Amino acid sequence: MARKVAIIASNGSLFDAYKVFNVATAAAASDSEVAIFFTFEGLNLIHKEGHKQLPIPEGKEHYEEGFKNSNVPSIPDLVEMAKELDVKLIGCQMTMDVMGLEKEHFVDGIDVGGAVTFLDFAENADVTLTF
Amino acid sequence: MIKTDKVLDAKGLACPMPIVKTKKAIGEVEPGQVLEIQATDKGSTADLQAWAKSTGHQYLGTKEEGDVLKHYLRKASEAETKEESSYPHVINNDELKTKLGNEDIVVLDVREPAEYAFSRIPGAKSIPLGELEERMSELNEEDNIHVVCRTGNRSDRAAQILSEKGYKNVLNVVPGMSEWDGETEND
Repeated sequence: MARKVAIIASNGSLFDAYKVFNVATAAAASDSEVAIFFTFEGLNLIHKEGHKQLPIPEGKEHYEEGFKNSNVPSIPDLVEMAKELDVKLIGCQMTMDVMGLEKEHFVDGIDVGGAVTFLDFAENADVTLTF
Repeated sequence: MIKTDKVLDAKGLACPMPIVKTKKAIGEVEPGQVLEIQATDKGSTADLQAWAKSTGHQYLGTKEEGDVLKHYLRKASEAETKEESSYPHVINNDELKTKLGNEDIVVLDVREPAEYAFSRIPGAKSIPLGELEERMSELNEEDNIHVVCRTGNRSDRAAQILSEKGYKNVLNVVPGMSEWDGETEND
């Protein structure tokens, strides 16, 4: 049985996006079954426009150059890759309701669900991570 | 130059791209074939070893050439994980160890060149299983041949081929290099 990795993404900066998508794509490429639950600011990471211009945390702007120099993939690229590798992206319904967002405000191919949808997957996960 | 079946250029790419690309590339080679991954990401050595462990493929080793790391992976095949042996004349690793240096024997290593390059029994002769039929003339029918691979499966097939062609003194070494704790050499 494939290893299962469950990730909760609840923060919305560029750094958070890299933490989430790097681990998710690496795990998926290692034949793990991966699901990410995006909640609160974490929804930025899959917002159609938002995920293309995620903010760098205040005072850390100087990292921008480092990102360029190390040739790290862009967040939109990582999102595409995650989808290609069958990573399950779950948007939190309750947060979306609070923020007045609909499924079409997000990148294509996401699922929308409540906490139980994620818990159902996480119940027998081998690795659970929160970012 | 180590002979491989496919080369993946992941130079200049940062984590997790070398792994993601490797995952795709391994899908494009046949079981038993060797994939070379060229990367400049310094974390890729540890990552690929861990990746191989979790996916069941065989990590052969890494060579450094300037800034470029060349990693070698061999795609796992189901047949090899099955313990199946039909050639009746076998010898175990320990028995072979005591013979080395004391008896006039030929150690024939039938693994892929990349596997042979990273670790082999000193003095072993390399003929990959796939080339055995055409290169058989490099062996004498009277030679005392000890065939070795990683787990004893490819060498089993090689031993059968040799004995069918009239080679009289052929032994299959079991299990082979996967558990070899004697001396080794490499390129």
